[in-house]
Amino acid sequence: MATQYEIPVGAQHISLLEPLHFKFITENEKIVDTTANVFYVHRGIEKACCSKFKFRQVSFVVGRVCGLCSISHTTAYSQVAEKLIKIEIPLRAKHLRMLVIELDRIHSHLLCLSHVAENSGFEALFMKTMQYREAFMELLEAICGNRIQYDFSIVGGVARDLKPEVGQMIMERLKKFKPQLDELVDIYQNNWSLSLKNKGAGAITKKDAMRLNVVGPFARAAGLAIDVRNETEDLLPWKEVGFEIVTGTAGDVYARNMVRLGEINVSMRIIENIIKGLPESALITETKAFPDGEAVVRIEAPRGELFYYAKGNKTQILERLKIKAPTFSNISAMVEGFKGNEYGSVPAIIASYDPCLSCTAR
Amino acid sequence: MKRIETSIENLKTDISNFYNQEKHHFVVMNAVDLGEKIEVQWFFCDYEPPCAITAFCTQIQPTNEIPSIRDLISSAWVAEAELVDLMDIKIENTSKGFVLEPDFESGPLRKKK
Repeated sequence: MATQYEIPVGAQHISLLEPLHFKFITENEKIVDTTANVFYVHRGIEKACCSKFKFRQVSFVVGRVCGLCSISHTTAYSQVAEKLIKIEIPLRAKHLRMLVIELDRIHSHLLCLSHVAENSGFEALFMKTMQYREAFMELLEAICGNRIQYDFSIVGGVARDLKPEVGQMIMERLKKFKPQLDELVDIYQNNWSLSLKNKGAGAITKKDAMRLNVVGPFARAAGLAIDVRNETEDLLPWKEVGFEIVTGTAGDVYARNMVRLGEINVSMRIIENIIKGLPESALITETKAFPDGEAVVRIEAPRGELFYYAKGNKTQILERLKIKAPTFSNISAMVEGFKGNEYGSVPAIIASYDPCLSCTAR
Repeated sequence: MKRIETSIENLKTDISNFYNQEKHHFVVMNAVDLGEKIEVQWFFCDYEPPCAITAFCTQIQPTNEIPSIRDLISSAWVAEAELVDLMDIKIENTSKGFVLEPDFESGPLRKKK
């Protein structure tokens, strides 16, 4: 047996953006085992939501679960609360929620892609991808008033309307971004040194993705066609606005890059369709009902399936709120995906998992 | 959401009879403090549209130990470890300290007496 080395990575490490700790057992450069600690900062948000805040205020609290996908959290919570108080939101509010969710997905995927490039040693591509992402941060600020943690979805609908000039601005930015996206696809797909580092790295098979209940682009890159937008039309009409699922086959870092780039393309089409056909209606359904019974909601956040469970008892304070973030589902696969890889691939593999510990340890 | 009531004794058999990894996706475990009892829930979702959600539910005493399902669903250990820390329940072969530090107040999501 070769000499084994134990190499810790994190909780503070140059290739990690989040408080995440891995311990790698390697035989020379080859990883033979991994353990992970993902819960450094438990923030007690579920407890706060069921004790300190009224159910209408909770959408503003869960918007702070994550800076990157706060619209997914506020929308999922709003939907589960709307089920408990038994209301249907206006059609315009549904379309505006989808619009912001897709803009958020684009900026989140670009962030992930940029970090994969950076962790693969391609600093210039990191800069370029982040530069393109900036345009979407500005659009989100123009719509929601915040670059991150947008309190856009609220119980009953949305907090703001889309101004015509902002709609026009989005269409212009998308037009400008299309050739930029083609350029990114070309680089991520064909750049020899990047492909060399990303192809075959951190691969999991479709069978493993099913066995480990993987979600999001991580699962889709392995060929597992799981996307909440593809499944249900009862809360948000995704197919009506042009949603199509994007999958890969190889399940490696390269395939994850390609799936995310493909999803950015689909998101752009959805955004264009929403703006072109934005229905006229109120923005919010008013009610004085209190939450009663239990309900669950699933929504496709940028990293995958986000699950909310809520239980009400006809008072202002919820009896229970449970949040299951996508990264929570992917922890087992994250650990297994390292096995058999070279230790030098670890930074790029971690970035391609796109872990969000802020959501996981909410 | 389809609720299936089960018991500690029948839990593993019921989930084993239901779960097919090519058809169902294990979502998460949850627990709700009902006061005297705790309701523990195991959520599954179909892969095929309309992707129905099924919840296996059982009510336990806080002192009961419930069986682990990680031999049926290997990724379930994360959800089990989280519930042990946050709800202060006992799950077979699952120790405390994954989500919370060992000196953290036990079961922060339990109702205070």
